[in-house]
Amino acid sequence: MTDLPFGEVFFGLSWLDAIIRIVIVVLVMTLVVVYLTYGERKVVARFQMRLGPTRTGPAGLLQGFADAIKLLIKEDVRPRNADRWVFEFAPYLTFIPVFLVLVALPFAQDWGVRNLALGMFFVFAVLGLNIVGVLMAGLGSGNKYALLGGVRAAAQMISYEIPLVVALLAVAMVAGTLDLNAIVSMQDSRPFILIQPLAFVIFVTAMLSELHRAPFDIPVAESEIVGGYFVEYSGIRWSMFQLAEYAALWAFSIFGSAIFLGGWQFPFGDDWGWGWQLVLTLIKSLIMIMLIFWVRATLPRLRMDQLMSFCWKALIEVSFALLLVNGLFLFYEWPQEILAIVNWVGAILFLGGIYLRAARKPSTKNLVGSYKHAEVPNP
Amino acid sequence: MTTEILWWIFAVAIVAVSAGVVFARTVIHSAIFLILSLAGVGAMYLFLTIEFIALVQFLIYGGAVTVLILLALMLTRMGVAGRPEPTTGVQAPFGALVAAGLMATLIGVAVATAWPGDPGGNAVAVSIKTIGEQMFQHYGAPFMITAALLLVAFIGAIVIARQEDDD
Repeated sequence: MTDLPFGEVFFGLSWLDAIIRIVIVVLVMTLVVVYLTYGERKVVARFQMRLGPTRTGPAGLLQGFADAIKLLIKEDVRPRNADRWVFEFAPYLTFIPVFLVLVALPFAQDWGVRNLALGMFFVFAVLGLNIVGVLMAGLGSGNKYALLGGVRAAAQMISYEIPLVVALLAVAMVAGTLDLNAIVSMQDSRPFILIQPLAFVIFVTAMLSELHRAPFDIPVAESEIVGGYFVEYSGIRWSMFQLAEYAALWAFSIFGSAIFLGGWQFPFGDDWGWGWQLVLTLIKSLIMIMLIFWVRATLPRLRMDQLMSFCWKALIEVSFALLLVNGLFLFYEWPQEILAIVNWVGAILFLGGIYLRAARKPSTKNLVGSYKHAEVPNP
Repeated sequence: MTTEILWWIFAVAIVAVSAGVVFARTVIHSAIFLILSLAGVGAMYLFLTIEFIALVQFLIYGGAVTVLILLALMLTRMGVAGRPEPTTGVQAPFGALVAAGLMATLIGVAVATAWPGDPGGNAVAVSIKTIGEQMFQHYGAPFMITAALLLVAFIGAIVIARQEDDD
């Protein structure tokens, strides 16, 4: 790849430098994942008026490590009718794409693993590959619930990848580049969320779906299909799925905060050192993560047909309309302020539409399968 | 030097997984090998310094097309794990014939054509900007026609797949 190394190269060797940087990022990621699981339990617990983990260490802070040790020494069970190699390789194929995404993320102006000229495209091209691991887990387990979870995950992730990519492309059109570091350094006075709020709404929705987070957690719905594609996994392999999930959550948050919230740039600019820029990136990604936890604690899970029809009948159309409007504005060089206003109106109309649709009594017409006989009480 | 060693590792791996596609005992395993093979070809594009095509290969072939194949297999063949099923039939010799013919044609074309923009056998880096300008300006009409074709196929698929109660 066309890599512009950040700052000086460690030991003067490009490949050694890359390895050192990726090791640092992966170590940080592991720590972040341990504390994200703790943070999620704590945040969701507070939303539900519980305390969450309190026993292990002060305020339960060591809970994540206790869980990790428990998972590492747990027996690794493989069902007898599982497809051996498919079953055993699936966790790696889920994890490797997330690992690769970390290569392209800009953590600070001079700090990241590599700055790729096609960084944004790289991120969603590589993230798309972890569907393969999910499908392999569903297929290889020899379990019908796992298979159902895999099929649901594949259908959902392929569908939601389209609005995700199109919304990000709309932002890339305004930015005029796919280079993540260049996109961040462009946002010195106003982050792109102010110019492209509709793209942000679409991005967050599609992101929730790609990460299997509530309200789109149908592939891992424990009350419907006992846990989805990783039902049969235990111990270290299960924890790899968990690691991949939370690492993807973190990577997506940094990616989203770089593109929409101004990453390391907004509001202090390049004058502040890389330490502050790192802190700024982490705070912004934490805001995104909090948003995701908040949504999880607040919204109920969608039904499979609702999920698919929301993507294909609402999200994709809106994102293509956004692409078209951005294209018109950029081609005729109409002022950016009007583009921002149009976008805000679009975002408010879209969210309002979702709210009104959710608030009204659901229709029981045109449902398929066993949902045909669904009775909906008056609200 | 490092690049050359990596190139050979990838070349051998691609041939190995492609053989896996052909010789795997179940269709599901073939499909998984196919994903690996296509991802390997994507890595090959990286060696040729055409990152855009490599990423498109990962996104479209690795992430979408083969996953759709797998999805279709999963929906149509339940409980395949551990039970081999015949992947060859009476059509096998014809398939081999078509494959051999296609391979001969492709190798012939690749060797016989004088490729432009390839002086002295060195790959030339093409920026995404050039690709975009060529695609939307110079080759605008074919692009639009392909888009219309895909749209028609898409609508057709919806019409076929949609199950109306009254018809």
